[in-house]
Amino acid sequence: MTAPSARSAAVAWLPLLFVLPLALVLVAWFVWPLLGSFAGSVHPFTPAGIDRSRWTLENYGKLGDPYYVGVLGRTLRVSALISLITAVLAYPVAHFIAGRRGRTQALLLLVYVAPWLVNVAVKAFGWMLLLGPKGLVNRALMTTGAIDAPLPLVFNETGIVIGLVHGHFMFVLLPLWAALAGLDPNLAAAAGNLGARPWQVFRRIVFPLTLPALLAGIIINFCMSMAAFATPALLGGARARMISYVAYDVNLVDLNWPLGAAMAVALLVVVVALVWVSQRLTASGRRRVVFEGAR
Amino acid sequence: MLVALNVLMVVFMLAPLVLVVWMSFTPDEFFSLPLQAFSLRWYHEAFAYPGFVDAFVLSLVLALAAATVAVSLGFLAAYALVRFRFPGRAALDTFFVSPLLVPAVVLGIALLQFVNRLGLYNTFAGVLAAHVVVVVPYTVRVIATALRAVPEEVEWAAMNLGSRRGTMLRRITLPLARRGMIAAFLFAFILSFDEVTVTIFMTGPAYQTLPIRVYNYLTDQVDPTVAAVSTLLIALSAALVVVLDRIVGLENLGR
Repeated sequence: MTAPSARSAAVAWLPLLFVLPLALVLVAWFVWPLLGSFAGSVHPFTPAGIDRSRWTLENYGKLGDPYYVGVLGRTLRVSALISLITAVLAYPVAHFIAGRRGRTQALLLLVYVAPWLVNVAVKAFGWMLLLGPKGLVNRALMTTGAIDAPLPLVFNETGIVIGLVHGHFMFVLLPLWAALAGLDPNLAAAAGNLGARPWQVFRRIVFPLTLPALLAGIIINFCMSMAAFATPALLGGARARMISYVAYDVNLVDLNWPLGAAMAVALLVVVVALVWVSQRLTASGRRRVVFEGAR
Repeated sequence: MLVALNVLMVVFMLAPLVLVVWMSFTPDEFFSLPLQAFSLRWYHEAFAYPGFVDAFVLSLVLALAAATVAVSLGFLAAYALVRFRFPGRAALDTFFVSPLLVPAVVLGIALLQFVNRLGLYNTFAGVLAAHVVVVVPYTVRVIATALRAVPEEVEWAAMNLGSRRGTMLRRITLPLARRGMIAAFLFAFILSFDEVTVTIFMTGPAYQTLPIRVYNYLTDQVDPTVAAVSTLLIALSAALVVVLDRIVGLENLGR
């Protein structure tokens, strides 16, 4: 079979026709608005609106105010905690799932993927029913006499951490599971034959081979937690505001668009930098693994 | 030890969802054991509250429109990426999935200021365009995977036999990539129907999709009317997941 080459040579502009509609939509509704944020963030905010005739970096300077530094600190701290807890829990779970048979494996994966397909507001409501002052957990503990007053499990940082560990679990679990399930079982068997104990096999072979997937999962989770909106807003309450909620207030309540745009740009720069680092880590991890495997 | 951890984690993953469903069928304001009685009280209240019904219709129309547009644009782009060799192809490939890299909050802020300048704040057109941007990376990816499985020789045969490219796409390529197209459509539908962050920046109280209505309701009060709405949303998700699983197999989605 030969390609109808003469015909396709005559229409070199054909690919353009196919990609142009989507490219135009993305330029108009994605690239242009983002550029607008960059441009908007370097003009001063005045009572009359945005003064586009003057240029300034004061919006970025305002992000250094104690209030915003506090919110940013909480956002970073909570996101780091979420990434750490998720990684510690997801690794043994991925190990367990990878060791099951086909049908059980698929069913278990479905359990972990299911919450992702449920709306974030619905999940937050479920956590309120479970962890709220009159929720199932607190009522059970008070009935049994374990506590006298309800534990503050939601509407604070604890609530955010629980909600987001639950919401983001799949994004760490799936790459780990794929890495563990894809390991050549002969590697562990060979190490065992050469006298390695199970712990040594894990530490020297399995863990290094799955480390890139683990690191990538941790960083992706960190980025997603930093930018999450509805879950922290509902489960954190007024006492534990994260950067995304404050950005909402600045843009839609204070209507201070230049400051809001500066927040968007700062968040975007941090996330893109972290994703870049994660890709470098994954790539170099693979290189090292291949190199050591060849020795 | 490992088994115990997994049992605990399965409980952790499912507990909030199970509790929402359970709660929606009780007559009580708060969760109590043993289950007192079966009641559809909160479903009556949910359907009697026009805010939820209107929001559901809006979400449905919006998700159908966004999925249709995203699948159409995604098919054209994916076809070019898979079948043609042209300068800038790799760059376009990255460009089409780049909205995935930008956090929803950042996109929300940018689009809020953008639609205000255009006078499209609180409009169907504005939200539709935003949803297309959010879901289109997924449709491009899913459809490109489906198109790679269609042998190019079949298309050559059709064209050598004299059919025009448009006819060939309609009669040969589309039917062969049907499963991928349906999967992309359902995937886009779910993502658009559930979208909260970008939408909440672009719409005010007068224009709310169902997830945003639920979100706003929860910031005011917590009562099981939301449990009834949530249970219906969970049922819708579950139904779509079963269909998706039948068509493509779920294990292929997470990658």
